[in-house]
Amino acid sequence: MIDAQGLYKQFGTVQAVIDLELQVPEGSVYALLGPNGAGKSTTINMLTTLLRPDRGTIVIAGHDAVRNPDAVRRVIGVTFQDLVLDRDLSGREALDFYGRLYGLDAATRTQRTKELLTLVELNDAADRLTGTYSGGMRRRLELARCLMMQPRILFLDEPTQGLDPQHRAMIWDYLRMLQQQHGMTMLITTHAMDEAEILAQQVGIIDHGRMVASGTPAELIGQFGSDMVRITANYPADYQPSWLQAEWVRNWAIQNSELRVGVDHGSRRIATILDGLRADGLLVSDMNMTRPSLGDVFLQTTGRALRDEVKS
Amino acid sequence: MINATYAIWLRHMRKFTRNREELGGLLIQPILWVALFGVGMGRMLPGQSNYLSFMLPGILALTALGGAAGGGMMFLDERLRGILREYMVAPIPRLSILLGHMCATVSKAFFQIIIVVIVGVLAGAQLGGSVVAWLGTLIALICFTLGFAGIALGVAARSKSIMGYHGMIFLFNLPLLFASNALYPLDNAPVWMQWLAKANPATWFIDVARSSTQSTDMSANLLNLGLLIGFAVAGTWLALRRFQAVTAN
Repeated sequence: MIDAQGLYKQFGTVQAVIDLELQVPEGSVYALLGPNGAGKSTTINMLTTLLRPDRGTIVIAGHDAVRNPDAVRRVIGVTFQDLVLDRDLSGREALDFYGRLYGLDAATRTQRTKELLTLVELNDAADRLTGTYSGGMRRRLELARCLMMQPRILFLDEPTQGLDPQHRAMIWDYLRMLQQQHGMTMLITTHAMDEAEILAQQVGIIDHGRMVASGTPAELIGQFGSDMVRITANYPADYQPSWLQAEWVRNWAIQNSELRVGVDHGSRRIATILDGLRADGLLVSDMNMTRPSLGDVFLQTTGRALRDEVKS
Repeated sequence: MINATYAIWLRHMRKFTRNREELGGLLIQPILWVALFGVGMGRMLPGQSNYLSFMLPGILALTALGGAAGGGMMFLDERLRGILREYMVAPIPRLSILLGHMCATVSKAFFQIIIVVIVGVLAGAQLGGSVVAWLGTLIALICFTLGFAGIALGVAARSKSIMGYHGMIFLFNLPLLFASNALYPLDNAPVWMQWLAKANPATWFIDVARSSTQSTDMSANLLNLGLLIGFAVAGTWLALRRFQAVTAN
């Protein structure tokens, strides 16, 4: 449904997106993860015809996005990270205007507006100016807006950014419902690992314009083994624990005085790790063991924790 | 194309009629020009039998210019706030986005113009001229506003900030009026200024508009009308070109 090959975009001397490949099958959800400035927005702008790639091809629902952008625009719905709602229009008017822009007749506009306002539970606030809406209400209205033209593919840039947990869960419910009941294909970008794990069948991690890892969440997490051991100690700057070159170690990294080791069986290996550290003369101050998450995958591939990147 | 232009125009009109501050500002501005500048200057120039009748077209031009600058501002605001992207992902011609904004700009300017004329007449301006002269003035006004709305939108398509936009726009507001026959007759002006004024769309418009307040012959203004139509097309073309340059990559 979405097929991008060899996407490349340069701004001046800055390479924003480098030879990016991305495929999203019909009816599935793809989550694009990455720190700020990694090239997520540039990618989504190219996929949604707002930006022309320097090189590479994009095919959306069988239409070439560069040669035939209007055909692509007719089948996609897009929400932006910065909300584009007009504060001087009511929720109902915003939807009605959007339908009008696409040339929908009045009866269809009225009917769809009513349905969508019910779907996102904004009936009570429909005739208030959107300037008076809370962040969660605006995100919901944005979602309704991009569904107005009954698109086959949704592009959602940070659909839950800045929302409280309750509203995030609400948006997730809508998105899952859209996928399950309407077979909607979706590409979302997000900062939140839990969001990607809950919603997406495919995940791509992008950093410095390149796709550094991609696959199903299970595949990506699987490379860390079944458990993740984290140990805080006074590691020297260039510490290289050669004894971690063992067959039971899937992966390891040190960041912020924390050693993370992905292992096949945590409770069996933890003593070995502690012995190794003690033999190197290190003082362990804290330790714990968890299931590895997409956050660990992200840290491993980009060298950065995602939460460091979240704008306040 | 027409549908999308209409949708964007309608959206702006709905916002406009709802925004009391904007409405009030647009109403008061021309009233101040007529009541303060027109009446005050009239006393300083005893040679002119009716200064207000003379300068009313100039105020119309200024109002249209202010409207065009405001139209560019509206476009810039939508661009900076990201609302423009909502139009950009829609399967509509890019030209319709521009035309929607330009039509809204002309409509607002037209609303102001009517106020100016009413206030002007109440303050003592005399309106002569035939129906043909009025019709010509109306066309001239629309072309004049469209041309400058195009320039303003062209600037707004590139401006990085509201401050930068205002800096650019100031260049073609008051100075343009001073370099025309809007506020004073050019008979005694130096030759270079007369030439400057002749190449100034404000002068073309004012000449046409004077035929409706001072009963000059309309047929003398066909050239001016033609120039203004060309100006409107050129303004639209400029805006579209700048707009496409920004959105193409």
